[in-house]
Amino acid sequence: MISKTFLKETKELLRDGRVRIAFFIVILLLGLAVWISARQYENVNEQYEAAKMAERTIWENQGEKNPHSAAHYGTYAFKPKYPLSLVDQGVDKYAGTSIFLEAHNRNEAQFSAAADQTGLARFGDLTPDFILLFIIPLLIILLGYNSFTKEREMGTLTLLKSQGISMGKWILGKWTALFTPILIMTAFLFLVAGVLLSGLENFGIFNWSALVVMFLVYVGYYIIFINIVLLISAKTRKSGVSLVISIGVWIIACLAAPKAASNIAEAKHPYPTRQEFTANVLKDKKEGLDGHNPWSKEAKLLQEKVLTEYGVDSLHKLPFNFDGYRMQKSEEHEAEIYFKHYNYLKEQFVQQSHVYRGLAAISPYLPTRFLSMAIAQTDYATHWDFADAAEEYRIATQKFLNDNFAENSEYGNWGYRADADFWKNLPAFDYNPPELDSVLSYNASNLGILGLWLVGSFGLLLFTTKTI
Amino acid sequence: MLTYNFRYELKLLLRSRWIQLLSLMLLVLFGFSAFNGQQKVEKRRSDIAEAHLEMRENDAMMLMLLDSVEHGLEVSVPYWTIPSSPMALGNYYPRVAAMEPQPMAFLSTGQADLFTHYVKPTVSGDDFALNFTEMTSPVQLLFGSFDLAFVIVYLLPLLIIAFSYNVLSAERENGSIRLLAAQPITIQEWVMQKLGLRFFWMALLVTVTLILAFLLIGMDIVAQATSFLSFLALVLAYMLFWFALAFLINLQAGSSAKNAVALLGLWVVFVLFVPSVVNQLGNTFYPMPSRTLMINEMRSLKEEVAKKQDEILDNFLRDHPEYALNDTTQSRGFYHRYMASQRLIREELSPAVNAYEEQLQKQQDWIGRFKWISPAILAQESLNEMAGTSTENYEDFRKQVIAFAETWRGHLTPFLYNNRDFSQKDYPNLPKFIYQKSQASTWSGLAIILVLSGLVYLIGIFIYKRQKERNILTTF
Repeated sequence: MISKTFLKETKELLRDGRVRIAFFIVILLLGLAVWISARQYENVNEQYEAAKMAERTIWENQGEKNPHSAAHYGTYAFKPKYPLSLVDQGVDKYAGTSIFLEAHNRNEAQFSAAADQTGLARFGDLTPDFILLFIIPLLIILLGYNSFTKEREMGTLTLLKSQGISMGKWILGKWTALFTPILIMTAFLFLVAGVLLSGLENFGIFNWSALVVMFLVYVGYYIIFINIVLLISAKTRKSGVSLVISIGVWIIACLAAPKAASNIAEAKHPYPTRQEFTANVLKDKKEGLDGHNPWSKEAKLLQEKVLTEYGVDSLHKLPFNFDGYRMQKSEEHEAEIYFKHYNYLKEQFVQQSHVYRGLAAISPYLPTRFLSMAIAQTDYATHWDFADAAEEYRIATQKFLNDNFAENSEYGNWGYRADADFWKNLPAFDYNPPELDSVLSYNASNLGILGLWLVGSFGLLLFTTKTI
Repeated sequence: MLTYNFRYELKLLLRSRWIQLLSLMLLVLFGFSAFNGQQKVEKRRSDIAEAHLEMRENDAMMLMLLDSVEHGLEVSVPYWTIPSSPMALGNYYPRVAAMEPQPMAFLSTGQADLFTHYVKPTVSGDDFALNFTEMTSPVQLLFGSFDLAFVIVYLLPLLIIAFSYNVLSAERENGSIRLLAAQPITIQEWVMQKLGLRFFWMALLVTVTLILAFLLIGMDIVAQATSFLSFLALVLAYMLFWFALAFLINLQAGSSAKNAVALLGLWVVFVLFVPSVVNQLGNTFYPMPSRTLMINEMRSLKEEVAKKQDEILDNFLRDHPEYALNDTTQSRGFYHRYMASQRLIREELSPAVNAYEEQLQKQQDWIGRFKWISPAILAQESLNEMAGTSTENYEDFRKQVIAFAETWRGHLTPFLYNNRDFSQKDYPNLPKFIYQKSQASTWSGLAIILVLSGLVYLIGIFIYKRQKERNILTTF
């Protein structure tokens, strides 16, 4: 019976001009979106490689220079783009792409793409994730809203009832008929993306398992929508009403809930403004050790401590340059301050994530969106990971420079210059994003919520529709 | 006939509880979104107020320090932050350049979550390094804000669609179309009257709930009467467009479900596709130059300039002989060289920096040429304009800040090159930043939406006339 219903429904769908047009449009849009994203991706990657090379050359060719001047001169860390960003751009557009690494200051990533675009960019982009997250659910609604209502409207319901059909089998038949085309389409898209990505040259680390997991997440998302649409169709009497209610669900899940969640999250756990943040950091810095200020109380304390430790009575008798040593101590102290303040930001971000997870109860879109971004390495957590790695590199660089200063010159010698070759000894910044396993375990709660939705929607569909 | 229709329609709407449901939904949506908008505006206001307060406290501190220095007393701050040095003053005691919210700012978040509302330019900072983006979670930027503009641009059309997709088709499906055909009125007129009445009721409900929502968040509607009326006019015009579309689709005599699918398809096209396609094409035709490559350029330039600092200072002083004449000490330190080279870097980099602005302007012009394709773009842009949160507003603010940074530098540089100390009596002359809002008319968007609505209405009538031979009673 399941297969008969499936065959009948599939034939009907294939013969329906509306369905053919809709499919055609979605495929066309997807193709367009993939093409645009692939171009963008290649473009950005080229720029990234060029910028990275140029920056390293600038750093290595500084010539003879005082290490601390080099520290102020600083260097840049550029954020790479990952292959799966082709499928989901995530928050990449809104997060900065380069971090300036200098002495005494931890800087935020700057130059986000959105800041360089017009207000229209806020409507959203024609990217594969837009089609996957918004348009395919709409397609599901279009294909399935009258699945049951049409039987009533065309008068075939009485005929069906006389067949002695079991409700469960009937529903499963309809379900498979709706699920198959969606599955084929999604599988096709991911296959194309996979082939395209493994064909692109010099693209970092692309692995098929991440793509497969992403595919499964989307299939789960679509199953939830299919269940909801069929449930609504079975519970309403008219096709028009069923359509309007389904669209209502879509609006709440995909449009309203994320926006409302963002407002609630911001109201409950706000970020400080940029200026406030800087002022707070500055206040903490003022109270502590300042490497440039040998007259402050903290500097004097450090001086005494070091003098007693080495058992000498003058800074000139120390086996290293105390200026460099103090610089390093102050750098460590400042790094701690930044750590504290950025940790506060991170704390707010984690709290906000809880709000989003809470609202996922009314929207399967939210966990899917977060999972998809995380797997594509375009989510906020990956951005944090990158920023932290850059900060670690900054601290290591400062130590590298200050140690050279302290070891190779004597106290008071600010005229010391390091060799022109010295800069090459600093290892280049190399960032590796978190692996798939750790991404998935970090997003375990999102996976759990999606699983709950899946089980819950199946349960509702199968157990509440005993009669039509 | 109109009066009959009016009475019947009202009874129908009341008894099907449509009016009750609609008022409740509108009230909840408008209330929630207006509250969200107001919350953001209040945070913005308090942030700016706090910044000003902090500046006043710092200024009081600065005046105390200056007083001590002038009386020859020892001060307890590091010597390079003592405000009697003009550069220390310019770097450690900057002014707040703030963009105060407009009275209607709560209407639309626009770009307000992306950009900062106050900066403190310093004398030695780079203008292009001034960061105008705000510290926000990018997830929030991605999802956007549940503001009034969202409710009006995205959700209101859907309510209209749900309210009007089956005006004619329901009659056929309920079997009452034969009764209707027996009435002394053409179908076209009847649909027109019926949709007109629904528009009237919905407009009334929207106006009343909007006023209620505005009163709820404590807006003074009387004081802002003109802004409020132009806002209301825009909302009604936008609603009219969607009712005109509903009229067009209803006359095609499809089934209810077909009508709903067609209207939703149009919604997807106008609200989701056209804006993103127009934006994407703008980006493709006028791509932004790479920011990362700009960093490289800036770095090599700085490197070059740093090597020739002395030469640059000499050239600068040659161009400005007044500094050499007025100063008897002729002492030249770090800042003399630094400020002269910064100036050179600014001049050299200005073409690269301007390229971004020009490209953004080109994108904006491109959108300006094609925005009439979608009333959603027109409505959103007009709302941003009313709220003072559009891209242009922030671009304008940025320009004003950069001009102010120049003023700030220009005010303090003579002190530096004349080797004159900054003193208490110079304090009142310090420049202040005052944000000037650019006045843009929002009526053009409204006019275009009205023209579009008229056009859709005419197309509806035209198509209907062409296929009049079809029989309304038999065709399906």
